[in-house]
Amino acid sequence: MNFYEHTLIARQDVSPSQMKQIQEKYTKIIENNDGDIVKFESWGLMNLSYLIKKNKKGNYLHFKIKGNGSTIKELEKNEKLDKNLLRYLTVKVKKLDLETDYFKKHEDSQKN
Amino acid sequence: MKKRNTKKKSSQNNFSKLSVFQNQKYKFKKKCPLTGKGAPVVDYKNIKLLRRYVSENGKILPSRITSVSLKKQRDLSLSIKRARNLALL
Repeated sequence: MNFYEHTLIARQDVSPSQMKQIQEKYTKIIENNDGDIVKFESWGLMNLSYLIKKNKKGNYLHFKIKGNGSTIKELEKNEKLDKNLLRYLTVKVKKLDLETDYFKKHEDSQKN
Repeated sequence: MKKRNTKKKSSQNNFSKLSVFQNQKYKFKKKCPLTGKGAPVVDYKNIKLLRRYVSENGKILPSRITSVSLKKQRDLSLSIKRARNLALL
């Protein structure tokens, strides 16, 4: 079993209820492919630093996953086809740090 | 009077350290700000930290300017590239 950090960016005009559906869809995919979600973070709607497919903002979702390579393969296969998503990134890590949540503070600083 | 003299001498010594043709002994050596105890963690989510090592145009600064160690510079450039991919930087 390996540890992964997985981040999604969904389009800006996706409604909150749709976001929940997206989140549930991918949690199901992970759990069906013998993966385990250790932690889920929603970073919310944030400004993109450059345009992606004419989107100025993006909805960020972040998963911390314990699973195999096949779990990630299945996840990314589904994400490639999803038109609601702009980007995704998977990073393999040796240890998951569950304490620091960088984007709670980040949001406040942006408002100011 | 004596005190003044000593002060002048010390300032001159500092200037001599800054000269181009200096001896290796007297070079200023800064420590790497990312190694050692209590150093911040280099991570693609830690954007506040990464912003410091990027120029105004978004280029990665060379370690000769920031005095980051080689190992940490490799980590930095990797995590900056990850952050760019996620449109965080």
